[in-house]
Amino acid sequence: MFLNQFLLFAAVLFSIGVYGVLTRRNGVLVLMSIELILNAVNINLIAFAAYNQDLSGQVFALFIIAVAAAEVGVGLAIVLLIYRNRRSIDITEQNALRG
Amino acid sequence: MISFDLLANTELAFERPAIDWHAAAPELVLLAWGALVTLVDLVWLEKARRFIPTLTGFGFLAALIPVVTLWADSDALPRQMFDGAYVTDELALVFKGLFLLSAYVVVLLGANYLNDGNYYDSEFYQLISASVLGMLIMASARDLVPIFIAIELVSIPAYLMAAWRKRDLKSNEAGLKYMLMGVFASAIMLYGMSLLYGMAGSTQISAIGEALTGLSDRPLVILGVLFTLIGFGFKVSAVPFHTWAPDTYEGAPTPLTAFLAVASKTAGFVALLTVILIGFESKSELVEPFMWVLAAATMTIGNLIALRQTNIVRMLAYSGVAQAGYMLAPLAVYSANPELSRSAVVNYLLIYAAMNLGAFAVVIIAARKTKSGEISSFGGMFQYAPGLTVAMTIFLFSLAGLPPVGGWLAKWRVFESLLFFGEGSTAPSLAGVLLAVLVALNSVVAAYYYLSVAKQMWFMPAVNDDNSTIKIPSALTIALAIAVVITVVSGVTNLMPELSTADFGLGQ
Amino acid sequence: MSEFFREYLIVFFFILLAVAAVGGLIGLSSAIRPNRPSKGKIKNYESGVDPTEGGWSQSQIRYYIFALLFVMFDVEAVFIFPWATVLEELGWFGLVEMVIFIFILALGLGYAWRKGVLKWA
Repeated sequence: MFLNQFLLFAAVLFSIGVYGVLTRRNGVLVLMSIELILNAVNINLIAFAAYNQDLSGQVFALFIIAVAAAEVGVGLAIVLLIYRNRRSIDITEQNALRG
Repeated sequence: MISFDLLANTELAFERPAIDWHAAAPELVLLAWGALVTLVDLVWLEKARRFIPTLTGFGFLAALIPVVTLWADSDALPRQMFDGAYVTDELALVFKGLFLLSAYVVVLLGANYLNDGNYYDSEFYQLISASVLGMLIMASARDLVPIFIAIELVSIPAYLMAAWRKRDLKSNEAGLKYMLMGVFASAIMLYGMSLLYGMAGSTQISAIGEALTGLSDRPLVILGVLFTLIGFGFKVSAVPFHTWAPDTYEGAPTPLTAFLAVASKTAGFVALLTVILIGFESKSELVEPFMWVLAAATMTIGNLIALRQTNIVRMLAYSGVAQAGYMLAPLAVYSANPELSRSAVVNYLLIYAAMNLGAFAVVIIAARKTKSGEISSFGGMFQYAPGLTVAMTIFLFSLAGLPPVGGWLAKWRVFESLLFFGEGSTAPSLAGVLLAVLVALNSVVAAYYYLSVAKQMWFMPAVNDDNSTIKIPSALTIALAIAVVITVVSGVTNLMPELSTADFGLGQ
Repeated sequence: MSEFFREYLIVFFFILLAVAAVGGLIGLSSAIRPNRPSKGKIKNYESGVDPTEGGWSQSQIRYYIFALLFVMFDVEAVFIFPWATVLEELGWFGLVEMVIFIFILALGLGYAWRKGVLKWA
């Protein structure tokens, strides 16, 4: 059984995703980085499901795919709203609220 | 090579799981009602506008009926479905009742607010129904998949509602921050969950609990447990995952703020209770220090920042962060007596819901006249709105934890669980005592800023000597009345029902 | 060396082979072809109409809403495939459940249609 390579691959994807979320200033790119993390999760789940001979991990992955689509849909809609009002999607410029 | 022929080893014959329709009734009623509201909106569009808020409110009350009948049929509890992945026990029913009632109050609060601001859209009510449906699922979920679905069902509509005032930059920003942080936190949580699943080989919380008992503290275990907790820490706005809360609370429409501060936070705590007390029960030496730090940081930092707020909504937001700290405290010592810790948290959540919703109701009513969120705009309220002032004072006393109103009993329970004598020991644990001292100190700090608002209302002159009275719409009066009654009564008698299931819904 | 790495050794050899084959052919062709550079050859499209404007352009915002609606309904299809494989065991109950599921999805589509999202104008 070679579980490690899948876990390592997922861990690398996860780390790239976290790095992207923390350093990117473009709202859309942050969302894309989050997608990377979710894909890392899916790889983990499917690898574990195959390893444990248990289907529930695959079911979980299906649900994550569906929910991730909804999340990104809502996320892009909000980013678009900001762009309409502000002509910029740089998240570091979001400073109307402070305290 | 890895073999992907999964089906070879699993039973091909698929058996349909039995469904307990009575146990699923609250969720199904709300789902059907939400679809109905959407249909009404689809068919009549603007013509239905006046009825949608009332219709939605009735939906919540209708879903409350099966909750009551389930409670009455207490011999059949806990009811399990899908091999124990979905459990309706007494605690779940208490939470479902709380969610539905507070959602009803929020709809009452929202009816006039959204119309006044010219931001009416019937979608708001459909989204809030969806969010409440997620909470109902959360109360019963005992499996990672439904917990995840419930969290997202609670959050995704909330992101949209936070950005509700489309042309207002502050509201846009509130939505963006909430969404980015929320999605990020749930991604981290999912990564933790995937590791937990890998180690347990099952998504059921009880199976994970059993699997973790046998495992040593491998890095993978620690990562799985902590990442999962971080995701929930975000939902309950625990420091350092609280940064979204004040901005979102200020920018979002105020009724939604009340909803986020009460219902959404409670949903996070429900998940936290389920996962910690069932799943991580054996990992207390790992979870307890983490929760201790989280609780201590949350209450202290929340209170210190709340002290210097001049905007009432921001102050309530940070005070809500601090209150979450008090609620996390019993979880830092849960291994001594899980039952006591759980009832302390649940009790606090129930009372917190009433007093906080009440405080937000007063803020919304006052803003109708003053059009301002500053604390100074509350000056002289006693002269022109004595009833409102008394109500607000009750809520503030309760939030500060002063007897005889609700809040002090909630805090009392927290102290009780913190200072509990472990089995065979003659003194409470050091961690518990230290945290109890912190809670006490923080309560003193908090009392200062809560009471300074009360002082403003009773003794300071009105802004511009404007002593015209406030007209309170009937919907808001009902909301206020519900909150006042619960806050006062909960201080005098113990409203928290006795929960007979000592095994945390794990089964008979 | 473990079994695992030995399997990857084959992949490694294939990579070497691919690089050698492609590199060899390109090198061969560059050695024997005539070399006459001209400005027209480095345009995006060597033949046809001259390109106008820059390489970056914004696409219509309307595409976004359609794309979003498509992704939503497309992704929901993942729940229908597993259902289809066990439909025989589920019988009428399964059929009714899927009808409810699709009804809720259709409600979303109907909503988008009724609120004028689908109008291309």
